[in-house]
Amino acid sequence: MLVYRTPKTIKENSTFTFCPGCDHGIAVKLVANVLDELNLRDETIAVASSGCSVFLYNFLDVDCIEAPHGRACAVATGIKRAMRAQKKENFVFTYQGDGDFASIGLGESLHSALRGENITAICINNTNYGMTGGQLGPTTVLGQVTTTSPLGRNKEYHGFPIKTAEHIALSDGTSFSARVALYDIKNIMNAKKIIKKAFEYQKKGLGFAFVEILSSCPTNWKLTPVESHNKIKNELTKIYPLGIFKDVLNE
Amino acid sequence: MSEKTLLKGNIAIAQAALKCGCSCYFGYPITPQTEIGEYLSLKMQESGLGYVCAESEIGAINMALGASSTGAKVMASSSSCAVSLMQEALSYACSDELPIVLVNVMRAGPGQGYIYPSQGDYNQSVTGGGNGDYRIIVLSPSNVQECIDLTYRAFYLARKYRNPVIILLDGLLGQMSEAVEFDDNKYDEINCSNWTLEGAKNRPSRKIHSLEPSSNKLNNHIKKMFEKYSIIKEKEADWEEYLTDDANIIVTAFSTMSRQAKALCNYYRRKGLKMGLFRPKTLWPFPQKRLAELSKKADLIIDIEMNMGQMLKDVELSVLGNSKIEFIGKPVGDFMKIDELVSRTDEILRRTDVSLSHS
Repeated sequence: MLVYRTPKTIKENSTFTFCPGCDHGIAVKLVANVLDELNLRDETIAVASSGCSVFLYNFLDVDCIEAPHGRACAVATGIKRAMRAQKKENFVFTYQGDGDFASIGLGESLHSALRGENITAICINNTNYGMTGGQLGPTTVLGQVTTTSPLGRNKEYHGFPIKTAEHIALSDGTSFSARVALYDIKNIMNAKKIIKKAFEYQKKGLGFAFVEILSSCPTNWKLTPVESHNKIKNELTKIYPLGIFKDVLNE
Repeated sequence: MSEKTLLKGNIAIAQAALKCGCSCYFGYPITPQTEIGEYLSLKMQESGLGYVCAESEIGAINMALGASSTGAKVMASSSSCAVSLMQEALSYACSDELPIVLVNVMRAGPGQGYIYPSQGDYNQSVTGGGNGDYRIIVLSPSNVQECIDLTYRAFYLARKYRNPVIILLDGLLGQMSEAVEFDDNKYDEINCSNWTLEGAKNRPSRKIHSLEPSSNKLNNHIKKMFEKYSIIKEKEADWEEYLTDDANIIVTAFSTMSRQAKALCNYYRRKGLKMGLFRPKTLWPFPQKRLAELSKKADLIIDIEMNMGQMLKDVELSVLGNSKIEFIGKPVGDFMKIDELVSRTDEILRRTDVSLSHS
């Protein structure tokens, strides 16, 4: 009986280098599964970003370019436009963290959505800058302690976090915007369905498709993997509700 | 040979880019280069090519980065303070070895400065405004015809060496109209299919990245980049000389300043002085060897720039004490008129006694 098969689009003999309990590994694998199912490997150009998400190109067996911090959607725009100019079949997606997509790169991200750029963006939201050791980011929730908000995020002092999927849903160029989580099997299976939809919308030429994935960061949250998932389930989903915020085919 | 037409420098560059197959352009408006984007917007949309009115120069240059990774011929253009915003991506493009052509039609700085022509971005282009060890090939036209010729050359060199190329001109030339003709692009097509990203069909997947956690690999990568730069230095340095054969006074200048410098040479030749012009067409690689040779026969070098003395450093490094060096500069053009140049040159000649010993 076949119990487990690594997705074809994961490089042979590659080992994830993410921290134990980090949800990045699950997210990358879901992306690979969907690329397999939609048979997109041969036409895919992936855009990795800065932070923990940059390692995407070590694991995925697709053509991949690393974008400067925050610029993934601009780089993807260039690739998409160039492939169209050369009349070549293509599938282009970005894989970014919340700091990359919604802080330093918010301009590039939002304008790609407004242009209805026919790309898909995946944003891992773990409510902090993980790679640099857990600093306050655009999605750090009120009260959350980070290395640069040692007394907890305070709305008067630090301002408010961004609800990225809801903001992207407001853009007329967005075809699809959703938020998912990975804290249990049911949610993982749903996340895969949502990622698949966001990939299919690009293939249908519908415009900017976006998936925000609430992810754990046990190392910087200083919690166990199980505690981290409980935190997402019990606390974060109350602030960042799961669901579909825009779907042009279901309006 | 085609017929002569009257064209602005900016439009000439845009037309030349299309002539040599540029299929993507990304830009954001800024004077004095906006006509490039305006011109290309209609032409590229009509032909189904890639054109984006980007949200910022940061967006534009990163779109160029992505587009060039597919092997498309890509151009972006901007000016001075906005080219500053592009430095991050240029550093990445050098490490990624991506062939982007960037046009910088210089205006006055620092900061926002103003839309007057200037040559204040020599350092930014030649020594790099981004982080890390890298080099960018910098071509500098001095008339509208050369805007065309050097645009052809820029696309060729960018792909030949897999490196960004900057076309650096001052606002005066971007806005100046002259009669030009479009020769056929004589440069060979470079096959890029062994490195481009277009989907890994029937081949192993490829990755283009600058991040490298292994210090050993990163050192080797930079070493390889610099081996390439040595070849470029050896092969691609280009310059113009005017009346240098017997000259004991050499004027150095680039882009439109060199045209005033030519007039200055003519003026002093009539007075019996042996003055000649040395004009680098490639600012990087700087034609160091040839200037060094010329300086051995010269008593005086006068460097003239529309800035406070930026190419001057490369002139000094080439001359290495072979002759005296004087500088005439003005950072904001108001183009230096010939009268002003003559009076400042006369002052130098009096002070250095060069005219007395050799006239």
